Amino acid sequence: MSISNQQSAIENRQFQYSEVGSFGNIKKMFDEIVKVAENRPLSGSHFLLSVESPRQAQAARPGQFAMLRILGRSDVLLRRPMSIYDLKADDSEGENDRKPGSPRILQFLYKVVGHGTRLMSELKPGDQVGLLGPLGHGFFEEEYLPRAHQANEILHVAGGIGIAALLLPAKRLAEAGFHQRLFFGGRSKADFVGVEDFRPLVRGMLLATENGSAGYRGFVTRPLEEYLARHSKKKYLLMVCGPWAMLRASVELARRYGHPCLVSMENRMGCGLGVCLGCCIRVQGAGHEAYQRVCTEGPVFWSDRVVWDIGEGPDESRSRESKVESRDAREG
Amino acid sequence: MRARTKTGKRQHRSIEGPPASRPFSPDDGHASAGEPFIPQIETEIAGVRFQNPIWTASGTFGYGKEFSSLIDLNELGAIVVKGISPEPMEGNPPPRIYETESGMLNAIGLQNVGARRFLTEKLPFLRTLRAHCIVNVFAYSTEDYVRCLEILNEGEGIAAYELNISCPNTRCGGMVYGSDPKLTEEVVAASKKAARFPLFVKLSPNVTDITVFARAAESAGADALSLVNTFVGMAIDIETRRPRLWNVTGGLSGPSIKPVALRMVYQAAQAVKIPIIGLGGISTTEDALEYFIAGARAVQVGTANFYDPGTSVRLVRGLSDYCQRKRLHLSEIIGSLKTSEHATRRGAEN
Repeated sequence: MSISNQQSAIENRQFQYSEVGSFGNIKKMFDEIVKVAENRPLSGSHFLLSVESPRQAQAARPGQFAMLRILGRSDVLLRRPMSIYDLKADDSEGENDRKPGSPRILQFLYKVVGHGTRLMSELKPGDQVGLLGPLGHGFFEEEYLPRAHQANEILHVAGGIGIAALLLPAKRLAEAGFHQRLFFGGRSKADFVGVEDFRPLVRGMLLATENGSAGYRGFVTRPLEEYLARHSKKKYLLMVCGPWAMLRASVELARRYGHPCLVSMENRMGCGLGVCLGCCIRVQGAGHEAYQRVCTEGPVFWSDRVVWDIGEGPDESRSRESKVESRDAREG
Repeated sequence: MRARTKTGKRQHRSIEGPPASRPFSPDDGHASAGEPFIPQIETEIAGVRFQNPIWTASGTFGYGKEFSSLIDLNELGAIVVKGISPEPMEGNPPPRIYETESGMLNAIGLQNVGARRFLTEKLPFLRTLRAHCIVNVFAYSTEDYVRCLEILNEGEGIAAYELNISCPNTRCGGMVYGSDPKLTEEVVAASKKAARFPLFVKLSPNVTDITVFARAAESAGADALSLVNTFVGMAIDIETRRPRLWNVTGGLSGPSIKPVALRMVYQAAQAVKIPIIGLGGISTTEDALEYFIAGARAVQVGTANFYDPGTSVRLVRGLSDYCQRKRLHLSEIIGSLKTSEHATRRGAEN
């Protein structure tokens, strides 16, 4: 299906969507025990986990996430929030009773960074996990489409495993014929997972590694800045996901060059349902509206909604100098 | 004699009596095996009848609606909503939560919509449910507790208040009231006077002797006690040597606190005559039953709601199944711990 064709219809429904607001995700979420289809090791300590959940796969929208629970463990209680990386139709069985291509499998791209993800990496096909989803306010077309149409190109900016939140929106945008480009930063080239999935969707990819093992040496924001400076007359829409420091730097570039920017935030989460208030981040506003829930109002925010000017972000204590659990929040 | 329990009459009587003096011997339950047995799991506290004793704890269940697509809220005994203050509160900066071994730390800082918006935005939905709505009330001063109650008094469909004098994550107030028996008495007495609905008081476990505070709240007019709130704890990131929580310390909850919370419920049940609502680490039917046997007349499911939203509803069924299997009504389980006289005395004194 094409986004462009649907644009007018979507714009007509605009009010409906904004009215749905924070409860939009609740209507279509499911709490299920689901089966692991595959848990494929990738480079570094990355894995691609595929689980079978036709209901959640069909309800999922780009930028949403699910809460994954390792069953039968009393030491790891809380579910782990995982970006929905991709949706797959499982062609191997029973195709007759459903329309072809309707997704049945959710894929999660993750990196082993802590106790929870280590247990996840031990999952085998046929194992069961708890899955609550789809959750959150993702990259919803009805909100960004007008800005996307004004832009010459959509720029995806990913830091490490942040790439996991960006593939589905990129696919949706590619189907609709938008020009896209990927800026991808990692510590080393082992972090460049998912690059091949992005390749057919984008006009170009600029990679950066902190240790110089591939692409630019340094942070991904450097090639991004060069690109924005070189094409200062062009209009872009940025979609960014990664650690706090990288988000903040990317958002600052978007602001300086005057481009709209969507960020997919991450934070530790207790419930994913909007009740524990553990994942709140500071946003523009006062009183009890000064904090919004990453799980419900987010994870995707317009970057100017978020207050970046605070000493440290929610995951700063787990940023790059921390070897232990650098991304435990969303993917731990 | 036994058959009378089904009428609910004796249930009522046992509720009025102190837990230790209950005359039944629940060993064999209702013996006549051929007769159909319908377990009564209703519970009554401060004149309010709850369809069952499985409730959800404040701060872990939002305002109910968030769970409405996952479970049937009408199956619950009550929903205790997130702490409500007279004015909206913004809460603490992140990080606000951290997972620990079999538990979690939180320092949310009572972010909430405030009493007025609760009445207009949240209460109308809660009113439609068979589960009772209990409003957890929080403030920084006795005057503000009273002011908050006065606002909430206008609400229709509130079954009771739960006075939160035990939040460990706010600058002052909260736990300050819950860790000084004189202040406990003062705020409970003032709140009881102001409250239009029954007043439950939620006690802090961060005290040397829980019975002192249980008695203080009782003597000041509390209709029931909820215990316990979270235990103050902390965690440190050894790489950055920073605390895991912005607030440095936070409240520990989850299965890891259950044995300690259960002990406190047992001690409080021995010390006071008013009903006890038990909470702390409940995630299975067995957990809940331990609390009932220790003397709780209702229990609240807290942290388990986060990782397993179906827990509370499952506990309602699990309790019925247990009562059926044992041929016991809930009222016969509450406070039915069997100890030698020596052990009873020690347990209450320790």
